[in-house]
Amino acid sequence: MSESSRSKSSLNLNPAPTLQCKDLHEYLKSRSPQFLETLYNYPTICLAVYRELPELARHFVIRLLFVEQPVPQAVVTSWVSQTYAREQSKAGEALSELSVWQEAPIPGGMPGWMLAQSFKKNLKVALLGGGRPWSMSSSLEPDGKARDVAFLDAYALERWECVLHYMVGSAQTEGISADAVRILLHAGLMTRDAEDGSAVITRAGFQFLLLSTAKQVWLFLQHYLQTAERRSLSAAECLAFLYQLGFSTLGKDYSTEGMSNNMLVFLQHLREFGLVYQRKRKAGRFYPTRLALNIASVRDGPGALEAARSPGYIVVETNYRVYAYTQTALQVALLGLFTELVYRFPNLVVGVVTRESVRQALRGGITADQILHYLEQHAHPQMLKTETGGIRSTSLLPPTVVDQVRLWESERNRFTYTEGVVYNQFLSQADFVVLRDYAKQQGVLTWQSERARTMVVTRAGHDDVKKFWKRYSKTA
Amino acid sequence: MADDELPSDSSLLVIIVDTNPNQRYITEDPKVLTGCLDAVIAFANSHLMQKSRNQLAVIGCHFHKSEYLYPSPGKPLDVRQIDGQYELFTLVEKTIKMRLVNLIKSQPQDEKPGESLLAGALAMALCFIARMRRESPPGLRTSSRILIVTGSSDTAAQYINYMNVFFTAQKQQVLIDVCSMDKHLSLLQQGCDITGGLYLKVPSLEGLLQYLLWVFLPDASERTKLVLPGRGRVDYRAACFCHRELLTIGYVCSVCLSGECCNNLPNSGYCCRMKPVLPGTGPASGIGKYKLSATCALLA
Repeated sequence: MSESSRSKSSLNLNPAPTLQCKDLHEYLKSRSPQFLETLYNYPTICLAVYRELPELARHFVIRLLFVEQPVPQAVVTSWVSQTYAREQSKAGEALSELSVWQEAPIPGGMPGWMLAQSFKKNLKVALLGGGRPWSMSSSLEPDGKARDVAFLDAYALERWECVLHYMVGSAQTEGISADAVRILLHAGLMTRDAEDGSAVITRAGFQFLLLSTAKQVWLFLQHYLQTAERRSLSAAECLAFLYQLGFSTLGKDYSTEGMSNNMLVFLQHLREFGLVYQRKRKAGRFYPTRLALNIASVRDGPGALEAARSPGYIVVETNYRVYAYTQTALQVALLGLFTELVYRFPNLVVGVVTRESVRQALRGGITADQILHYLEQHAHPQMLKTETGGIRSTSLLPPTVVDQVRLWESERNRFTYTEGVVYNQFLSQADFVVLRDYAKQQGVLTWQSERARTMVVTRAGHDDVKKFWKRYSKTA
Repeated sequence: MADDELPSDSSLLVIIVDTNPNQRYITEDPKVLTGCLDAVIAFANSHLMQKSRNQLAVIGCHFHKSEYLYPSPGKPLDVRQIDGQYELFTLVEKTIKMRLVNLIKSQPQDEKPGESLLAGALAMALCFIARMRRESPPGLRTSSRILIVTGSSDTAAQYINYMNVFFTAQKQQVLIDVCSMDKHLSLLQQGCDITGGLYLKVPSLEGLLQYLLWVFLPDASERTKLVLPGRGRVDYRAACFCHRELLTIGYVCSVCLSGECCNNLPNSGYCCRMKPVLPGTGPASGIGKYKLSATCALLA
């Protein structure tokens, strides 16, 4: 008998990996516990982490918040009804992953849970008060030239579109700094052209454009934080400041007094991307914009904060037609990624979603979810109002279109890849049957053919099966 | 009763705080009120902490009027952070405390404190919810509920107002939760049962915040997953229209279905049978003795 190890991994087969947009939870999970420990010294971060937790986990935290000694694990389990045990274990895992709670023994010897000290302390500070004020809340005399919400919205939109337009190489290339370009390159959203060294958009970049603005900003800032350490900025401090902005009030001015030099540099960068508005570099005050406020609610998806910003422009009909009331080249180009454009009018573009056009997008690494999400997020106000004929749907789009796009995606995934080890060239049928039955019993058998005396065992089960075979062949 | 299948994007909570000075726990020790109020504010802020899009309103209910404590009508207070507390939470706390002082100061001095106007406050809360629903952007799923925190005792004087409010809430899919700090409240418990909310009589006032956070903080969709105190038996006795007493057996008018405990109706104005009975003919036709229930009282 011989084993031939052949690993098939799905990673190499997919030409364009899908863009990963981690939320705060995933981002923090990938960081070290020490980093988390420093973060939990900021009440803002505790507040943000709390909001990102699964709902049952939030319930656990709030019930443990005012308890000083460890609570038996059995008691925590009894808070949730039996039928939701799986959700409960997920919630527990999330809390452990983010080291929000730790296992602590109870005098009786039973295992218990206890919230991490710094997290508990600072969440209480955020909720009930106490502690030191946040760095930007020094008092200010009223601003003579106060800016209203509408102005801030327009400003933020203009700044952010500047970045997006730069990505698609539109004419307006001024107003974006070398720093921003470096981040785009670092994130793999753009790449240096081999010939003339100019930055061009990558496939990941197109996927980036399909995200909601809040997610775009968040992804961009994640890469910013990764590069921040090289510029001697502390990631923890930056993150805490970001969330401070996220929890501020729109249309209110905040003071730069008492901020460290590093943070002032950071503020200037944020100003460039439109997260804060500052009239002059040395103005001593700044206004956070909606882009900054959305950081604290990335996970909630489009809604109140997002909707107020820019009205949607896309109408999708059940006959797969897409009408987009737009003039900007960027939006037309994005739509062209997954629709077949049919007509173009001064203020309206008409396209059709076809199998070919969607498959082309899918080949480019764009997922069905991204397409649907884009259509949904930019849906015309009229679409929001239409009733779906009494059918309770989670999506605003016509169900036929949603289903079909998903079907087109799933028809590409006809193969599932599993890593495995092939066992073949058995000397006798009996040997084969014994080994196959053993593998089957262990639940590690992927495939077998009795006629060819060949079987495939998963990677994880390989050692075990090999050992068994050695023992078996010795005794036989 | 609210949407169980889909978790909502945001949840709107209206808290009605009974501030009537003749509640027993206040007359015994006025300082307890501050503690209870702090607990309610902390609870309100925890609600806002759950999701960024959660909304909150707090209504103070006194014996002479009910008033919004938060959000304050007109321009919000200009609040700067004084400590590590989240700015919005500071605003909530400051606004509630300031407006409550105004409410208590405005109470008429010469009048003896009567019953708290809870039914009126409930109606205000329903109006607020209806307005927020109308103003919310299309496509946003909101679930709404009302929490009453009270230490008043049960009276049937506002029986009809209560019933109207309860059934409106049921129709609007608004949950009514009741947290009783003193006595058992059978009428409000009926409201909880009708709208699918929870009723809890707090055993001790020291742990008020823990009870609030445990029972009343989870959203309707979360409640199914948690082990919460059971509904228990609900006393569904109706109050009679003539003397406002709870009764098990009484007379029901077959035309307007109003219920009475006695046969000699005062001219209450509720029953259709307003004209006095002709002498010698006995009780008016169509009146018989039936078991009363809240539903038929409502139809009146």
